[in-house]
Amino acid sequence: MNKTIKKRKYTAGKITYKILFYLLLFVLCVIFLFPVWWMIVNSFKSQSLIYSDMGGFRTFLPTAPIGEWFISYRLLFVTFKEFGRSILNSVTYAALTISGVLIINSLAGYALSRFVFPGHKLIVSIIILILIVPVETSIVPQYVILFRLGLLKVPVLAYLIPGFVSPFYIFMFRSFFLGIPRELEEAAYIDGCGGLRTFFRIIVPCSLPVFATVGIFTFMGSWNEYIFAQLMFAGHQSMMPLQTYLQIINKYQPQDLSLVLASLTFSTIPIAIVYVLFQRWIVEGVAFGGLK
Amino acid sequence: MESNGKAVSPKKKKVRRAHFKLFGKSYGVNDTVVGVSFFLPALILGSIFVIAPMLISLGYAFTDAKLLSLNNVHWAGFRQFALLFKDKIMWKAFGNSMEFVVKVVPLQLCASLGLALILNTKIRGNTFFRWAFFVPVMLSLAVTSMLWMNLFNEQDGLINSIFEFFGLQRQKFLKDPDQALDIIVFISAWQGAGYQMLIFLSALKNIPRDIYEAADLDGANKLQVFWHITLPSIKETFSFVLVTMLIGAFRLITQPMIMTQGGPINSTITMSYYIYKQGVDFRDVGYSSAIAFFYTIVMATVALTIRRLFGKDNTL
Repeated sequence: MNKTIKKRKYTAGKITYKILFYLLLFVLCVIFLFPVWWMIVNSFKSQSLIYSDMGGFRTFLPTAPIGEWFISYRLLFVTFKEFGRSILNSVTYAALTISGVLIINSLAGYALSRFVFPGHKLIVSIIILILIVPVETSIVPQYVILFRLGLLKVPVLAYLIPGFVSPFYIFMFRSFFLGIPRELEEAAYIDGCGGLRTFFRIIVPCSLPVFATVGIFTFMGSWNEYIFAQLMFAGHQSMMPLQTYLQIINKYQPQDLSLVLASLTFSTIPIAIVYVLFQRWIVEGVAFGGLK
Repeated sequence: MESNGKAVSPKKKKVRRAHFKLFGKSYGVNDTVVGVSFFLPALILGSIFVIAPMLISLGYAFTDAKLLSLNNVHWAGFRQFALLFKDKIMWKAFGNSMEFVVKVVPLQLCASLGLALILNTKIRGNTFFRWAFFVPVMLSLAVTSMLWMNLFNEQDGLINSIFEFFGLQRQKFLKDPDQALDIIVFISAWQGAGYQMLIFLSALKNIPRDIYEAADLDGANKLQVFWHITLPSIKETFSFVLVTMLIGAFRLITQPMIMTQGGPINSTITMSYYIYKQGVDFRDVGYSSAIAFFYTIVMATVALTIRRLFGKDNTL
């Protein structure tokens, strides 16, 4: 008798604990998801419907008839003629940045992992120093340099070139290449391959994970870049990448909230696809950073 | 690039063993040629866009340089620094940055570690919850700022209508100097926590099961297990996350730039933003560099101290 009561009490406690636990999870989910949910749902409504729904729970439901869902999206492309262009710009800038970053930093990482040349040690120390000591260089001195080089007249170059080299990625490539046994390349050298051919034939195929990780992280960085783009492309609307162009839509008076929400939602789709497709690489890359 | 390959390969057989000496050290000619040519693009770009900005900003801090008259720069000694320490807005920005760091880092750290701990247990819908907490990370900082700016709109934003629905007082939110920075703290943690959650999660998954089993046999309670086993096992990850989070928080600029432009009454102006404003908007490169110099010292001191505290100074 006693025993069963005890057992039931125990399970009751456990059940309350479980309920509370899942309640907490639910609340957390609501906090993390409701703004994004609201953004998506309301991007399917007209501005007047957004405001008339706002007072109650209907604001979280797609209340417009399904045929009218994409009106705001069509209006978005019609009203802001350069929105489509800015998406194309962002894709182009990302592609160029990824190519530049992968080639330049992987070669540099390879040089530091294999070849001992004068200054080799100094360079490695400088890179480590840059990575350890946070420097608030901000963008002002970079802006000054671009100004002096006359690159500000060619905003695209001024925007892209500084992003090509990254001490962190050089270091990441170097650490990965250090783990590849040298015997693999020796065979290639004996066969008469030069440095560049050995690199592309032997090293690159062995290092796809690190190339993928750096590529994805570069994409995310480039896609999300705001401040520098804002600085470089102020006054050059047709060259603006998506993130800066969004602010033009957001700031436009009179503001149309449905267009703003549609633009925010639409601009998130490409990067969300990248996250979903490459989640394994992202988690590994994140872990790489964390384990170092 | 092609010329490098050509230059190296024909000589290869003879040159492979050739060496030269520099400062008493011997280097292979071939290694040097290939190594330097591979490193060259990064060296050139890195010197111009990574190293030079640091040195330039260091140098300009002691001058009166203005963006539009960079050919007419005069040595100013410590004058910019004297100005800086009397600049009330600078101190306001400094205070705001510190307040942001002190608030956002614990909040985001607890949130991300807490979420990771929850997801590390066997719960139903684990994958769903992981994605749910990760969704804000997929939004860019610009999208996050613009979305929340509209949600927190004091006239017709969603948050105020929710407040009204529950009978609460309408708030001025971003227009209220007492609330604006806290809102930025909240949205920053909201946007970023899912990312560090992933880092913690992968660290937690690497802790060997048998340590927990041993603790279980010893009758340790959950808090003891967390304090004596979980936390020490993820110490390195913890310090990595802490330092990156700190540095990120020190550099806050995008959110206030989009949401408040530093207002109201400078309540959300941060150091990075003020440095940007002085350098770009007011074109006062010398003064901007002096503030950056001062702020770098503060940031570096804090970051290096934390690394020292965790006993590992080469965390990258």
